[in-house]
Amino acid sequence: MTSSEKSFLAKHFSHVYIEKAVLSHPVTIKILENLQNSQIVKIDNYKEVFCRARQNYSLQEKSKKLILAKKWGEFLYPGPSICHNFGYDNFFYTSNILNCIYSCEYCFLKGMYSSANVVIFVNIEDYFKEIDAVLKNKPLYLSVSYETDLLALEKIVPFSSAWIEYAASKQNLTIEIRTKSTNFQALENLKPQDNVILAWTLSPQEIIEKFEHGTPSLSSRLYAIKKATENGWKVRLCFDPILYIEDWKSIYEKFLKQVFGEINPDKILDISLGLFRIPKDYLKRMKKAFANEITSFPYEESQNIYTYPKELKEEMTNTILLKLREFVLPSKIFVI
Amino acid sequence: MIYIVTAFHVEAKPLIEHFDLKKLYEPSKFQIFSGNDILLIESKEGIVKSSIATTFAMTKFGAGSKDIALNIGICGAVENAFSKGDIILCNKIINHHSKKAFYPDILIQHSMKEATLESFMHPVKKESLPVEIEGDIVDMESAGFFEAASIFLPLHNVHCIKIVYDFLDFEKINLVEIQNLIKQSIPHIESLINSLLKLNLEFCSNAPEIDNIPLLVNKLKNSLHLTAYMTNELESLLKDYIIRHKKLPDSIFEFFEVQINSKKEGKNYFDKLRKILLS
Ligand code: SF4
Repeated sequence: MTSSEKSFLAKHFSHVYIEKAVLSHPVTIKILENLQNSQIVKIDNYKEVFCRARQNYSLQEKSKKLILAKKWGEFLYPGPSICHNFGYDNFFYTSNILNCIYSCEYCFLKGMYSSANVVIFVNIEDYFKEIDAVLKNKPLYLSVSYETDLLALEKIVPFSSAWIEYAASKQNLTIEIRTKSTNFQALENLKPQDNVILAWTLSPQEIIEKFEHGTPSLSSRLYAIKKATENGWKVRLCFDPILYIEDWKSIYEKFLKQVFGEINPDKILDISLGLFRIPKDYLKRMKKAFANEITSFPYEESQNIYTYPKELKEEMTNTILLKLREFVLPSKIFVI
Repeated sequence: MIYIVTAFHVEAKPLIEHFDLKKLYEPSKFQIFSGNDILLIESKEGIVKSSIATTFAMTKFGAGSKDIALNIGICGAVENAFSKGDIILCNKIINHHSKKAFYPDILIQHSMKEATLESFMHPVKKESLPVEIEGDIVDMESAGFFEAASIFLPLHNVHCIKIVYDFLDFEKINLVEIQNLIKQSIPHIESLINSLLKLNLEFCSNAPEIDNIPLLVNKLKNSLHLTAYMTNELESLLKDYIIRHKKLPDSIFEFFEVQINSKKEGKNYFDKLRKILLS
């Protein structure tokens, strides 16, 4: 964004919409300490703001607002089939936060919600209670950063730390925190946990610049990963989504070389590899709100999921896999 | 087009003068003024009338998604946190009677204060203020205006701007003072309008080729005798192609001239075109 654009747009979180029921929740109070210049607007239910008709998603992305709410009902959801379960049986995800401070053009959230605003469910203690109850009967593998980038929002609300501290006391729980953030600093004082996986999504710098707006550069992500591995954290690398772009072969080859020039593969827990894929309905909605190279690609549909045509898909997967195996043992690579 | 809705002529007058608006003499129940891509309508008092006037203006003059609608007028302040003449951009508008709340999308910076506004069907006095009042300021129009305008326009283009006139103590209305207060507010209003225009122009503009798609599709529909289903598919394929390649396929113009003699021939041409658009 240029400085002239910045100057007339309201800053992100210029407005904080707060459900009356959570006005005095300690997490709300903590969040507001960091947002003292924001306008506070009291609301009854987050859906009044988040689910309004006639919101312009792509314009809202230029000035995202924050909504603080209380989560009711379900806290855990079964992991969707387009995500990898890494061999865990009870793969679930949970969503403390809806939407993200970054703005990746391929993000499925753009097809999921009608608003670009960020919702934080402040009552994290209720999530923990629910998980306590489930853990009595079965172990859980839980993705906690599913509909957001939790670590990127750590300065606003320290939920990544809260999840890690919670997981520390639970033997039959494994959590994955997936991120593009380089804010590893925020976790540096915590003790690395065996049942916590920090998963970094990595893309070639060309893709970051073109499609992953607002996210840190590849080199700074690699720096954060290095620090995390040095500090003893379990780290997963996610090459997902792999995107088809002009010169993809040479771009991804150069990229993998750069990644493993910096990172020792032996220090990595595992690697997930996935080509861009998206539920049919989400793509339909994304196309309405955004028109870009990714949403306009002529994908093929199979079982309500759009992805690259079969031949291209095979070529891309095989090429990248072959290259990846030069650096990493096949047993560490999960392909979806 | 910028739609401005005011309740009374005294609120409209300074705006009419500043924007150099001329009265429209087409038959209508409302006083309407226009000029310089602005249309101002006077609704008279009340939630319902404001809603009717807004709907009338936006229907009659064909509001489009990049148009802007503003409700401008005086209000009463519940709290003494405000001063006479304060100009307020409402971030929440409540219809006191239906309890419905509306939230404009404030995506741009502005030079006004912000507050929650509550609209009533009747004038509100300080001593008879309902206990459950949530608004910082009160009026008798905004909720009607907002509910109506937001049916036609996206939420970032609909705003209520209120100027504090009284503190619900019912001092005698001074028309000259109201005009002066509105006049003083015009620089703030104008700057908001400029930012909204910039927002709509800079971030909502299509490539010119995309704007031409309906025309192209119509031409191809006629020349290739396309069914409704094929026409829809063609429209979406064309749009995707332009987004990916930033231009139309060179060979598309050849398809305008073809002579079709049978359904089968039309389908063959369509398949050919489809293949080109998928590349
Ligand atoms: S970082 Fe992840 S959640 Fe955030 S916009 Fe990008 S893809 Fe979506």
